[in-house]
Amino acid sequence: MKKIISLLILMFFIFISCSVEPKVIKYGDDHCFHCDMTVVDKTHSAQYVTKKGKAYMFDAVECLTMKINQENNERDLAFILVADYITPGKLVDAKKATYLISKKIKSPMGANLSAFFDKKIADEYLEKHGGKLYTWNSLKQHFSK
Amino acid sequence: MRIGVLLLFLIYSFTGNAQTSRIDVCSSCKVKSIKDAIKLAKDGDTILVKKGIYKESKLFIDKSIHLIGEDYPVIDAENKTDSVIAIKADNFSLSGFKIKNIGMSYIKEVAGVFISYSKNFTIKDNIFDNVFYGIILQRVKYGLIKDNIISGNAKNESSSGNGVHVWKSKNMRIENNTVSGMRDGIYLEFVNNSYVSNNTSKNNIRYGLHFMFSHYNEYHHNEFRENGAGVAVMFSKHIKMYFNTFHYNWGTASYGLLLKEINDAEINDNIFEQNTIAINIDGCNRINYKNNHFIRNGWALKFTGGCYANIFEYNNFQSNAFDLSYNSRLNDNKFEANYWSEYSGYDLNKDGIGDVAHRPVKLFSYVVNKTPETLVLLRSLFVDIINFSEKVSPIFTPDNLLDQKPLMKAINSLD
Repeated sequence: MKKIISLLILMFFIFISCSVEPKVIKYGDDHCFHCDMTVVDKTHSAQYVTKKGKAYMFDAVECLTMKINQENNERDLAFILVADYITPGKLVDAKKATYLISKKIKSPMGANLSAFFDKKIADEYLEKHGGKLYTWNSLKQHFSK
Repeated sequence: MRIGVLLLFLIYSFTGNAQTSRIDVCSSCKVKSIKDAIKLAKDGDTILVKKGIYKESKLFIDKSIHLIGEDYPVIDAENKTDSVIAIKADNFSLSGFKIKNIGMSYIKEVAGVFISYSKNFTIKDNIFDNVFYGIILQRVKYGLIKDNIISGNAKNESSSGNGVHVWKSKNMRIENNTVSGMRDGIYLEFVNNSYVSNNTSKNNIRYGLHFMFSHYNEYHHNEFRENGAGVAVMFSKHIKMYFNTFHYNWGTASYGLLLKEINDAEINDNIFEQNTIAINIDGCNRINYKNNHFIRNGWALKFTGGCYANIFEYNNFQSNAFDLSYNSRLNDNKFEANYWSEYSGYDLNKDGIGDVAHRPVKLFSYVVNKTPETLVLLRSLFVDIINFSEKVSPIFTPDNLLDQKPLMKAINSLD
């Protein structure tokens, strides 16, 4: 009986370690995969997880986008997540988010880029602060120049 | 015409001087709040605030006035999310205050002192306690930030601001401040021609000092200890780094100095002691490293990304686990006349220079770069053997990566 339980526990851990899931970002501890800065900003952080289950953290959405452009590895990624600007610490699907580049809202790597889950709120911020809205695809194009 | 202008200016400055007055603020004075005093004041006036507790925030100043605190009067913002003093004026000064309890905001930049579009000013001898941002400077020039003590209580959270945050400014001097418990101690973004000297920056979550897109700056005689990482210099040109001390920056993401995409810098006479990585060098070109001390670090120098035309001369590498870690087979950097405590050669002609060239890269550092977990094998016999065999007949390290003239004695030894 004991053996079975320990086997089950072992299986459980193997299962856990193999699952492809986003990881919790350890703010102040993790560093950015693109620029090596320590990730601290809950409103601008980002993450991607490969299909093999390895998670990489980014301190800014521009770092994530530039890394994906550079490596050209979007096919190999299971999750691409960006922080929702208005709910600090919450990561949302990058492909569904709306992006705002506005001089009034600064981001860690100087691109003035923020991500919004809700398009309506992005519109509000655009009206208030000015700038330009992007979708995931147009954002990648913007940084590939 | 010119004389007329000069005369006018003289008259103006004379009468200006003659009319300046002093306004006292205290609980028993005629003027009881700083806000009222600011309203009453004219250009050139002095406001003297006596000892006491002032529960005020959102003080807006658009005049050239001098705010002086006597015996550190306390301005308590009671955790409100508004900057305590916001200034948009030229020729002003602020000194001798204790500003505390500034609220945290994710979206707004809330500071003890917020200065924008100003020039010729002094912020001196103030205490900032429990603040979100200490001092924010935007689009300013010719400012002096001196003798301030700034502390936050940033824990492992990201909900913290920077001690001194400078954005799009030039000709600044930041001297003699003590900054602790913030996100970045001192942060310069798009700041040119500025000096950062004699500051102590410690226990900050991210960096002691941080340069982003800032050119022609100089920092010297600063101390950076126990920060997430000591100093980060990123995407900047012509930065001079002299006589700084970087120590006890330990941890997985910890560097004494992080250099990313830096060109044409000078790094001289610095001390790097007990950091996980003393200098992490990523894509940096034409940098001169001279007379630096690397003592008891995990890695003294770690190269990632292409680095070209860097020169390392007269540095001391003493008791580091790895002196140098390299990521490519090509080397375009020059290592000459450094002292390496790992050097096992000899000096038969007694000229102080080793007769055999020294190879600073250990083979094992390549293994560790690929698979960090192998670090547990660091002190094993097998690793010693492969390191030795690589030294004798190098296969993995670039052929020309060696110090032809290793010194037998440390330069300016600190002991």
